[in-house]
Amino acid sequence: MNTCQSTVLVIGGGVTGLTSAVHLAQQGVSVVITETADRWGGHAAQLACMATDGCVSCGACVVHSKILQALSHPNIQMCLNTRIEAVDKTERFTVRLNQGHEIRRIEADAILVASGFTPYAPHAKPYGYGRFANVLTTLDLNINLRRHTVVRRPSDAAAPRRIAFIQCVGSRDSSINHLWCSKICCGVSLRMARRIQHRQPDTEITFFYIDVQTFGKNFEMYYADCQKQIRMIRTIPADILETGDDCLNVSYFNPDTQSYQEALFDMVVLSTGLEPSESAGNLAAMLNINSKALNYTLNPESIAAMLPESIFIAGAALEPMSIAESVASAESTAFSIFQYLEPSQVMPS
Amino acid sequence: MTSPESISMNGLNHARFQSWPFDQNHCLTCAMCSSSCPVSGIDGFDPRKIIRMVSLGLEHPLIESRWPWICTMCGKCEHVCPSSVHIPDLIRNIRSMRDREKVPGILHKGLAAALKTGNNLGLPKDDFIFILEDVADEIAQEPGFEGFSVPIDKKGANILTTIHNKLVNTHTEDLKHWWKIFHAAGEDWTVPSENWEGTSWGMFTGDDPAMKIMVGRIADNMARLDAKNLLWPE
Repeated sequence: MNTCQSTVLVIGGGVTGLTSAVHLAQQGVSVVITETADRWGGHAAQLACMATDGCVSCGACVVHSKILQALSHPNIQMCLNTRIEAVDKTERFTVRLNQGHEIRRIEADAILVASGFTPYAPHAKPYGYGRFANVLTTLDLNINLRRHTVVRRPSDAAAPRRIAFIQCVGSRDSSINHLWCSKICCGVSLRMARRIQHRQPDTEITFFYIDVQTFGKNFEMYYADCQKQIRMIRTIPADILETGDDCLNVSYFNPDTQSYQEALFDMVVLSTGLEPSESAGNLAAMLNINSKALNYTLNPESIAAMLPESIFIAGAALEPMSIAESVASAESTAFSIFQYLEPSQVMPS
Repeated sequence: MTSPESISMNGLNHARFQSWPFDQNHCLTCAMCSSSCPVSGIDGFDPRKIIRMVSLGLEHPLIESRWPWICTMCGKCEHVCPSSVHIPDLIRNIRSMRDREKVPGILHKGLAAALKTGNNLGLPKDDFIFILEDVADEIAQEPGFEGFSVPIDKKGANILTTIHNKLVNTHTEDLKHWWKIFHAAGEDWTVPSENWEGTSWGMFTGDDPAMKIMVGRIADNMARLDAKNLLWPE
């Protein structure tokens, strides 16, 4: 099967890295894929399926088949708990890998950066995250739903009857230098809200938002249904206080009544944005590429134009993107890598 | 103006506001300003809408509106704003565009009195000194404060303190806390007999020349009395 003599190092074992690795391996390329964590699948592997009466295309199921395909492919060497320590480039790349118990050196002809994203940690925002037990992020709630299938409040394991979602926490926020829309959060929150109501129909959900980013196939129709079931308020709250019984008193300006209001919720979910991977700065330095390629300030076309021809970036390392978009990005980047390694085997377009 | 229906789109003036440096055009209309504001909703007051009106160039309705005068300039909106719009500065600049005769009464009269007499109340110097000494006498009768007096116009003091006009009007008891702390700390302090006003309503009315005069008088007091440090408790 190993028809090609080239090796590609894939940095990052999330949905993007795994998808690219499988595609390259299927073309006969040898792949070494590294992951700093102790498991495969990145953030995507922690997410719950959001299906209600049918599939809502959340993408949570995709990553597991990618993990299995990668693990079973003979052309892929998989390295968990592995950090990139140094990268040298002469004819080929020589890369030093730190695997905790040993240091390894590998050689590669191309490198794919699939380092993904880091979820924004909203401790500094005025919502009591980290102090109030029942203030969660969408990722926290997603993990919670995956484990328990129904929602329970962290403080007392009771089913929350009133849940608020607050959008854009850590996105489009110049005070923390996050100038980007994280793009996926509206869909993530709305799918989660509808999935909760599907299992727990008595749950009242309030959605505080600025504007809803309806990216993706059929989202507009899905959104129309959401608006019937969810109370939509075009305002972002600025204060949350915890009550004696672990409920949350959310204060906000109601644009419909032109008045300041307070409302009680059993749980508040912060729709936290994406930020570049914690390792992005380090990776850019080691690869000797412009740090702007990995800090969400440029569009993918500009980034591609500034990279050396043997280094590629795909998925949420480029910009915030959904699981489906990450898969598409991984597939097209795998094709570009193959084109670079084996130009004679690719039909000219 | 209490509802959006009363906002007219006639007579927009984009040019005036475009030069303002408050980042108002970065506003995403998230409304965290309005949600955090302690006075939002009073007469429909909505900081988000004010920023929008500025972006649109609704100059005349803004200047004539009561809304900019409802703001307390506390700055909480600016603290939470994800677009770092300088909302209190912007509101102050809207206030500055209003005809001075139309500035709300108490601020307008108080500032006029301050410019004329040195304090917002128009309190004569003799009455001011009488009130301070009266309060000092009351302190001197309390155990541990025997012989206490208020050092007025003392030269070379370490601290010169201004006085908020309400402390020599309705809240004289509140002078005592400061003074007792100075006494207990053995602080070398003084109060100027003239131009002692610490509340600058030029700040709240958007009147820069008036603010400059008020600040200048405090600087003059510092120089005249050769004070080392200024304590300016607004």
